[in-house]
Amino acid sequence: MAPSASKTSIARKKAIVYITGESPLVEEYAALGSAHGYDVVVQWNEDRKRDKEYRRSAIVPAGTSIALELTNTDLERKKRNLQKLDKALPPTAAIISSSVTVSASEQATWIIHRHRLAGCCALPSFSAGTVIEVAPTVYTPVETMEVVRRFFTSLGKHCEFVEDRVGMVLPRVVCQIINEACFALQEGVSTPAELDTAMKLGVNYPRGPIEWAEAIGIRQVEAVLRALERDLGEDRYRVAPLLHQMALTGEWWNRNPREGS
Amino acid sequence: MIKHFGVVGAGTMGAGIALAAARSGLDVILYDVNDTVLRQALERIKADVKQGVARGKIPADQVSPIVARIHPRTNLSDFHACELVVEAVIEDLRVKKDLFRHLETHTKTSAVLATNTSSLSVTAITSVLRRQERAIGLHFFNPAHIMKLVEVVRTQATSESTIAFARSFVHHIGKSPVLVRDTPGFIVNRVARPFYGEALRLLGEQVATHEQIDRILKQGAGFAMGPFELMDLIGIDVNFAVTQSMYDQFFGEPRYRPHPIQKQMVDAGRLGKKTGAGFYTYNDTTKQDNSAESWPLPPQRRQ
Repeated sequence: MAPSASKTSIARKKAIVYITGESPLVEEYAALGSAHGYDVVVQWNEDRKRDKEYRRSAIVPAGTSIALELTNTDLERKKRNLQKLDKALPPTAAIISSSVTVSASEQATWIIHRHRLAGCCALPSFSAGTVIEVAPTVYTPVETMEVVRRFFTSLGKHCEFVEDRVGMVLPRVVCQIINEACFALQEGVSTPAELDTAMKLGVNYPRGPIEWAEAIGIRQVEAVLRALERDLGEDRYRVAPLLHQMALTGEWWNRNPREGS
Repeated sequence: MIKHFGVVGAGTMGAGIALAAARSGLDVILYDVNDTVLRQALERIKADVKQGVARGKIPADQVSPIVARIHPRTNLSDFHACELVVEAVIEDLRVKKDLFRHLETHTKTSAVLATNTSSLSVTAITSVLRRQERAIGLHFFNPAHIMKLVEVVRTQATSESTIAFARSFVHHIGKSPVLVRDTPGFIVNRVARPFYGEALRLLGEQVATHEQIDRILKQGAGFAMGPFELMDLIGIDVNFAVTQSMYDQFFGEPRYRPHPIQKQMVDAGRLGKKTGAGFYTYNDTTKQDNSAESWPLPPQRRQ
């Protein structure tokens, strides 16, 4: 493989990448794509803050060669986005869709041109990693996976081809660490700050679990855990009640009920 | 602040704790029943100090003063002046309980008695004491003279003044204390469980190979080592035993359930680096990247 060659050929043509999905993943990948010479167009969305950094359009631009779908929490919206992309894109264009909370194969059943879709691991705060997990669906031919591999290589990422399973590798491991930290927290084992210190100094984790939850976004973490719970049906993936409460309120500490509100 | 400090048990952890304290200027009574073990410990401490000099962490003129501050002893009554004694003997509840019973009779009434246990209940170990409010857990990490973290473990009986004393001691020897309630695995061993447990499940479900999982978590998430490399380093038998102990202590909570792959590796004698083969194979101490030789066999990938 020749990453530099593929990068320059794509850059010369300024291939159009259309990105749909939720913040902050969309912004992370838009920045990454622009930095690597792509013509990035981001889906116009009424609840997204307006900025001038990227082209925004509600209509999929003609000539789009790759579409990225980066929704993890609202799967109904994800389905609508994928169906819209499938209708608007030429059959040769690939759709790379985050398959962290719903398998890529299941997503492929939502659209007509199933061959064009492949899954990838997109979770906020990890877009700077030099390795990305990608998953072919039961319908994806080798040709589509080659397009996916070239695309991520051009972004400076090495692709790891993994089985198409909910949670993939990185989100499943990291979110379960966060979930365990939340169980410990709600049992009064320690404080959020000390939990972070312990994991960073005791086992050299790059971030403490609570810091990580905040960087990823607690709703994203909950979405990953709910998906694992749903898909694997095991008690070990049940969401810590404190984590769920966090996703609702954004507060780490539950008020002492005896103190009143 | 503390003037007299004692360590019971001159194994790897005990020697490391003694060195950490001696480096910060404390005089340390290092006790072991076995004279040979004590001599070996002092040799290891000297080697560690020299390594610290080579790495520029310890000034060269500090070597002999640091080593001279560690006093090897084989009599528990030598702890009579100590304000704090940390126990780092074998992880056996009966042995530790017995030791604490004796320690209490050989130390002054105001002395704080601490255990360095990582997997036993501090409450159970210190239940034999008459003055349980002066008992606490001080969980150091290996190598104890380098790792900055100490989990300060409080039982229901531990007094606030004992906690404050223990925290200031940990600060004094240049480490960072985190206060933990006495629960199985404290913080680190507990919150780190899914790092291994989920990785083993992913391998068992053939979502990815162990090499892939290691690469993804290192280069994708920023972990210094992958879970399989780390299990090989720790020892797959040791990691399995810790998981099993957590599972038992939480009465079968499924989040801590061990994985059959762990047992199979132990049954096969593939315990990691120390046996030359674990998830990876090792030539002397270097990891072999030959995945064909590694076990379990990687699943057939579609690409």
